[in-house]
Amino acid sequence: MTTVIETADLAAAYASGPPALSGVTFAADEGQAVAVLGPNGGGKTTLFRALLGEIAVVRGTITIGDATAYVPQTERSRLDFPVSALDVALMGAYARTRWYRRVTAADRASARAALERVGLADQARTRFGELSGGQRQRVLIARALVQDARVLLLDEPFGGVDHASEQAIMDTLDDLRADGRVLLIATHDVEQARRWDRVLCVRGEQIAYGAPADTLTNAVLEATYGPEIVMLDCGHRAVAIQHHHH
Amino acid sequence: MRWLTDPLAAPFMQRALLAALGLSVAGGLLGTWIVLRRLAFFTHAAGSATFPGLVVAGPWGLAPPIAALAAGLGFAGMLARMTRRGATSSDAATGLLLAGALALGIVLASDVYPSGTGVDRLLFGTLLGLSDADLWLTLAVAVAAITATAALGRTWLMTGFDPAAARSLGVRAARGDGLLLALLAVSVVAALPAVGALLVTTLLVVPAATARLLTASIGALLAASVALAAAESVTGLLLAYHLDLPPGPAIAIVGGGAFALAALATAAPWRSGVRATG
Repeated sequence: MTTVIETADLAAAYASGPPALSGVTFAADEGQAVAVLGPNGGGKTTLFRALLGEIAVVRGTITIGDATAYVPQTERSRLDFPVSALDVALMGAYARTRWYRRVTAADRASARAALERVGLADQARTRFGELSGGQRQRVLIARALVQDARVLLLDEPFGGVDHASEQAIMDTLDDLRADGRVLLIATHDVEQARRWDRVLCVRGEQIAYGAPADTLTNAVLEATYGPEIVMLDCGHRAVAIQHHHH
Repeated sequence: MRWLTDPLAAPFMQRALLAALGLSVAGGLLGTWIVLRRLAFFTHAAGSATFPGLVVAGPWGLAPPIAALAAGLGFAGMLARMTRRGATSSDAATGLLLAGALALGIVLASDVYPSGTGVDRLLFGTLLGLSDADLWLTLAVAVAAITATAALGRTWLMTGFDPAAARSLGVRAARGDGLLLALLAVSVVAALPAVGALLVTTLLVVPAATARLLTASIGALLAASVALAAAESVTGLLLAYHLDLPPGPAIAIVGGGAFALAALATAAPWRSGVRATG
């Protein structure tokens, strides 16, 4: 297995402030999905922005062997814009389109293929804002595929989607893993985190990293979520409940 | 028919029509981005902020477009400064500066330079006396708006649609936004002789807001905004000529009527399947 993404003692900061996240050391191989688990404001987005090169790395190193794409939460985008699912997928080609040129026919074909891959070929002309939350999430994943990204940073991809949509997104993500892509999935849902190959727990700094069974212990979860956490022990399953701050 | 042809025989109306068409291209294209990016109030305030500049241009011996641009840039600078610390919201600061600029202009025009140009002309535009320089400026902003929309349309779309992902998609948001605001300022100045300081949104907001109700893609929105702006401004100029109105209010009334019709048509019961855009 080839290691695609790796950090060593990574610390990242906004502007000239103190590090918002520090001590992050993890590695992910081809085809692995890593849940990035932590409370809101715990540093999940900070980690993504550091991996994307958008904020300063003040200590440690990042090694990424492949193109990386960010898949934001869909409600962060303007749902009233007159853009179709295909238009949004095509945005993945903007970076390689010179300012004086139109998007190429090859990129259009690639956007259509990406929508087909996430199961939305028949919705290509539908306005983005009229799709369901889960469908929008899959369009944004298609956009990352048009970017030719081998590493996908997904910000709460299951936030606010119903069960059927969640399954459709899971299928899409499994398909991408089978293809050797690396997925980092930010979530504050412990049960969600259990489904993936690795879990990285963060709360301002790295709390733990490893396979879910080894990592998601009561001690680690308490350190991740702090005293606010309510632990419900249902057999082997610990469920973390916390207040949402947006 | 003579209702249409008589006005066109007058050279001053030919110039006014030429200016209106140039402004329609710029107003329709930039208006699309103004409406999508929610810059309508900013645009209105930037127009009003040029008023004191226009009042002092004559007495101080400045070219009106230069004085207006300086006042508009002063407005943008003060807005940036007032909102920097986050204690004052952008729309509150905009409202405050808008009122301040109008008040300053009125005081200057009534008490300091009372013999200056007619205030209503500065606020609502005029059909008469469009200079060659005014026409050239109009043509220049039309060309600039076409070029910028072709070159930066994707950047403006991406930055407005999904700012969180813009940078990871290779979009240089800050540079694009800077150019959009600069182009907006110059277009406001170019629109002043025709529609006046108070009514620049007549060309820069109203047609695009109307087209927004009727179109489902960016390309259609851009095209419909330009077409509507041209139709509204030509109709408004003809009305102004026949009814002896200043052109700004005449075009504004036509634009408002077109918006009302579009809103009624798209909200009618037989279109209940179509969601209102907001």
